[in-house]
Amino acid sequence: MTESKLLLTPPPHLKQGDAIMHAMRDVILALLPVTAVAFYFYRLNAVAMWVLCVGGAILTEMIVRPLLGKKPEIGNLSSVVTGWLLALCFSPTTAWWTAVLGAVLAVGVAKELMGGLGWNWFNPALFGRVVPVLFYPLFGWMGTALGSARISFAMPDMVSQATPLAMLKGYGMAGAPSLTEMLTFYPAGGALGEISAGAVILGGIFLIVRKHISWRIPVVMTATVLVLTAVLGAPPVHHVLAGGLLLAAFFMATDWVTAPVTPNGRLLYGVAIGVLVVLFRLYGGSPEGVGYSVLLMNPAARWIDRMTRPKVFGQA
Amino acid sequence: MTVKSFPRGGVHPREFKESTAGSPIREIPLAPELVVSLSQHLGAPCEPAVKVGERVLAGQKIGDCQAFISAPIHSPVSGIVKAIEPRPTMTGAMMNSMVIVPDAEQESVPPGERRDWRTLDVEEIRNIVRAAGIVGLGGAAFPASVKITPPKDKPIDSVIINGCECEPFLTCDHAIMLARPDDLIEATRMIMKAVGAGKGYIGIETNKPDAIKLLAEKLQAEPDISVVSCEVMYPQGAEKQLIKAVVNREVPPGMLPSEVGAIVHNVGTALAMLDAVTDGIPMTTRVVTVTGAVNAPGNIEVAIGTPVAHLLEQCGGFKGDAGKVILGGPMTGWAINDLSIPVQKGTSGVVVLSREYVDTNPVVACVRCGKCIDVCPMGLMPNLIGIYGERGLYDKAEKWNVMDCFECGACAYVCPSKRIMVEWVRQAKQAINAKRRQQREAKA
Repeated sequence: MTESKLLLTPPPHLKQGDAIMHAMRDVILALLPVTAVAFYFYRLNAVAMWVLCVGGAILTEMIVRPLLGKKPEIGNLSSVVTGWLLALCFSPTTAWWTAVLGAVLAVGVAKELMGGLGWNWFNPALFGRVVPVLFYPLFGWMGTALGSARISFAMPDMVSQATPLAMLKGYGMAGAPSLTEMLTFYPAGGALGEISAGAVILGGIFLIVRKHISWRIPVVMTATVLVLTAVLGAPPVHHVLAGGLLLAAFFMATDWVTAPVTPNGRLLYGVAIGVLVVLFRLYGGSPEGVGYSVLLMNPAARWIDRMTRPKVFGQA
Repeated sequence: MTVKSFPRGGVHPREFKESTAGSPIREIPLAPELVVSLSQHLGAPCEPAVKVGERVLAGQKIGDCQAFISAPIHSPVSGIVKAIEPRPTMTGAMMNSMVIVPDAEQESVPPGERRDWRTLDVEEIRNIVRAAGIVGLGGAAFPASVKITPPKDKPIDSVIINGCECEPFLTCDHAIMLARPDDLIEATRMIMKAVGAGKGYIGIETNKPDAIKLLAEKLQAEPDISVVSCEVMYPQGAEKQLIKAVVNREVPPGMLPSEVGAIVHNVGTALAMLDAVTDGIPMTTRVVTVTGAVNAPGNIEVAIGTPVAHLLEQCGGFKGDAGKVILGGPMTGWAINDLSIPVQKGTSGVVVLSREYVDTNPVVACVRCGKCIDVCPMGLMPNLIGIYGERGLYDKAEKWNVMDCFECGACAYVCPSKRIMVEWVRQAKQAINAKRRQQREAKA
């Protein structure tokens, strides 16, 4: 019997198999349905957007981590997921440099400069999506220098209409797509991830079943939007199915690192984001309202955790 | 039949009990040399009661201590004391130990007269349990005599016998329940008398249906003792969790079970107490589950002090590539790499973990998935406690209830970042206990 090879690592000696990589792999699986629909309708434009964002995210990690004296950890698939989610936030006609800039900001700034995976305060994908818009004066020169070069492959199945959300805002319910269209496919040129509410829900349910995310944030966030829009006289179901709400509810607001970890904290967080979304949508002007709502609540997550500490066993 | 459980948290690891479940208790030849540690229990270590070169008899007291929380040590064999010296134990600490070379005669201390516990008073029962060196066999090795001496102002109404055996791989308690059901019921009655409790419960997880059926049948006509079926859920056998499951009472943080009128004893401990009181047998052997990647796994009656190497040899040696040798269960046990380390009173198992089951993923930063909070049976936030423990911020760890953690390891079991919460918790507790000691001494 050889003793020298015996390991002395601390208990527990049995571990549930999942490492970060496995959870990320499941997120990727959950994103496949909506990605497939986007690829089908937006063809090469969507594929190009995906390649730019995912490739940009991986390359950024490979360059930035060594600069910070760390080894890249592409294998945990975290950057792949960040890039993938970012791609789903962009429309198929987004300028290519915006996509690359978004990926660099997401992985380089929002994640790595904050200390790496686990230490980031903002959801990297949403950060990459929103910062180029918010700080347009800072980045606008890129557009001028590079030309407003759009990815322009032909898009035969494109519907030449305003996005459902724009319709809800501008034109009221007349001409708004049917709920069935929004649940299945509605390629109106919004973000890739907004093309099919059904595909997003499918992926979200998969993540809940696999216990990677809790039902609390997506369900409460969606319910808040439903109730609040109904109370304020807006079409509730359209508001839930339109735009990036469901993608954000299932994939961004549930981002492990930037969301609360306590059960009650998650309920509170879902309500808060839901309220913000409705405020942005009904009274604000920007199409990135959902993204802002999540990003605004991100830094509160750790504080919410402390406010919603679970009851210790046996405590009166 | 209703199945009981604790209300929050818990995990369900693969059980791995197939290879030894229901297999009868087997005996093995004595090792050529026993290493009997003088500190086998929670509490003050013993002083040697014999000298090097002296011949001792099986059952003879070889170490004792006057402290309240302690338990004497007896020789499992007759033989010569070869040395009294520090030897490695499972925690890695060197402990003063008695090295005994068994002789051919194997002569025992003459047994006293058989006693009937019904004719003894409570004080006599406690004294016998104390003198027999009985400690909790479930793993924590808390002196049993202390547990059956509850504070006078805390009346005990419920005795809970713990047959959950919620650790994967282990089957020794299961084997004991099948082998000695009548004695177990008798032992329960005796403990009920010792603490003045009117009700007894035997808690068993539903993955041992034969034990549940056997005991339930025997208890049909006995209304004051009942078998409680418990859900297969780790850590069902943890003291506070089992009390909650069985009698629906929550022991407050920092308190003992007597606070809510209950005490819990492991099935092996209960039987050892009965054997001591009835037949005057001190604690010198125990049943150990030797399992995992070994050729002849089983539930083995082992002399305390038997080196793990001898035990493994008697069980056919390693099968395939052994990654870890664990003393105790795989959730809370200690990994060792020195097989001369002996079996102690608290050693419930020797689990050889095949390399394929050893998780070698590196420890990385917490990604705040919250799974540890979902599974913590104590309602703690292991994510925060882990981060504070890792960085040596022990005041903060204390503020976040690290002292209420009993190190079940459910958090680290589910952690995708493979964080070693239990290790950090131990470090934090050590530092906090040292600080509290200092403060007490400063006051005194």
